[in-house]
Amino acid sequence: MSWLRRPSEAPLWQDEFSVFTADERYVNRRQFTKFLTLTSFAMLAGNLWILARSIFYRAPKYAPLAVAALGEVPVGAVKLFAYPSPRDPCILVRPADDTYIAYSQKCTHLSCAVYYARAQNRLECPCHQGYFSITDGSVLQGPPQRPLPRVALETRDGKLFAVGMEGERT
Amino acid sequence: MSVRPRQTRGLTAIDGAMALIVLLLIVQIWLLSATLESYLAGHREAAIPGAIISGILFLACLGLYLFVDRLDSQIRKD
Amino acid sequence: MFGMEFYVDPSRCIGCQSCLKACEECETHRGVSMINFDFVDRADSIATAAYVCWHCDNPTCAQVCPADAIKKYEDGIVGSSLKPRCIACSNCVLACPFGIPKLVPEYEQMMKCDMCYDRTSVGKRPMCATVCPSQALSYVTPETIAATRREKPVNTFWFGEQKITTKVFMMAPAATDAISIDVADYIWEGEHELAPQAF
Repeated sequence: MSWLRRPSEAPLWQDEFSVFTADERYVNRRQFTKFLTLTSFAMLAGNLWILARSIFYRAPKYAPLAVAALGEVPVGAVKLFAYPSPRDPCILVRPADDTYIAYSQKCTHLSCAVYYARAQNRLECPCHQGYFSITDGSVLQGPPQRPLPRVALETRDGKLFAVGMEGERT
Repeated sequence: MSVRPRQTRGLTAIDGAMALIVLLLIVQIWLLSATLESYLAGHREAAIPGAIISGILFLACLGLYLFVDRLDSQIRKD
Repeated sequence: MFGMEFYVDPSRCIGCQSCLKACEECETHRGVSMINFDFVDRADSIATAAYVCWHCDNPTCAQVCPADAIKKYEDGIVGSSLKPRCIACSNCVLACPFGIPKLVPEYEQMMKCDMCYDRTSVGKRPMCATVCPSQALSYVTPETIAATRREKPVNTFWFGEQKITTKVFMMAPAATDAISIDVADYIWEGEHELAPQAF
């Protein structure tokens, strides 16, 4: 990085390891400022990565997955399944007789598993008390910033199929 | 390498520049987290302005660092 | 620091060695004196001279230290070697034009006068200057020196072509503006008749 340095007669090692403690303060400050600038660059790299991904990443088409048979899940009960891959836990809830709704089970805060609180009729995350609405997964309270991604469900031949995913995987 | 009673005159400017960089960094960190959250929620339109503003903040940090560096070698030269 | 400076006048030294004993009392280096005490020509003269570190403006010892163990502080004092860093290589011992640093093999460390930094940094006088009965080593304001001494303080030394400026002053005859030392003068050429019997 010598081209960034202003010319000084003393060699770099003499500047950086000065015998004068008064100069050491300057060196420490300069080094710290350098470190902060590097951190800033790291943030920029993060934003550029998000930009690249938003342009180039397209979610692959996932095969529909049979989740449950109609009537298999009692009213007010849940069924856990994995969609689109075995590593993506999801939760199917039947809050009312004719309502089935499914979400990703990973809390959007720090990925703890959410559960269905039957009495309050909402999805709750036990880790930091993040609550999600059962109707659309929006955040009711707590640290999560974005809504719980919803799993698109379709009824085919009396069975519920997961056919799509919200969020990044749209 | 000449020797002189060290002054502290350049120190205030450097301290100010560092404080400013820390502020910009805080904004940049928030921007990164906000952009990430919105991208993961599926809103891809936030990525471009996020990257541009982050770039501007980084260039500001870089400029302040070069300013500190120049001030530092100026003080040593005297 | 606090307006006082250190003045060395070897012609006043009476050889009592109080400075050695006072220096030894410091807790941080108990029993090891940092005074460079010189019997100038012991066989032929009772003359003695006591020296402390000269705390050079651009300390040679610090510049040659490979471990960055010697630092010059903002008030001008050159510290003794930092214990975690000193590797006892003796570079500073060899490099100092005044021959001040001493290597203490038992501690594997260089030790030298730091002008009683714990005392001078709060306005007290160094131990040696406090006890010297003839004030060959004195720590007073420049005004006091100007008012009480005939000699003039000098802090510029020439070693051949090399100029060294120091924080500590040497008292010298009034017309002197710098002290030149020809190192060749101090190289023993063995002309003395006792030379063959020397170790």
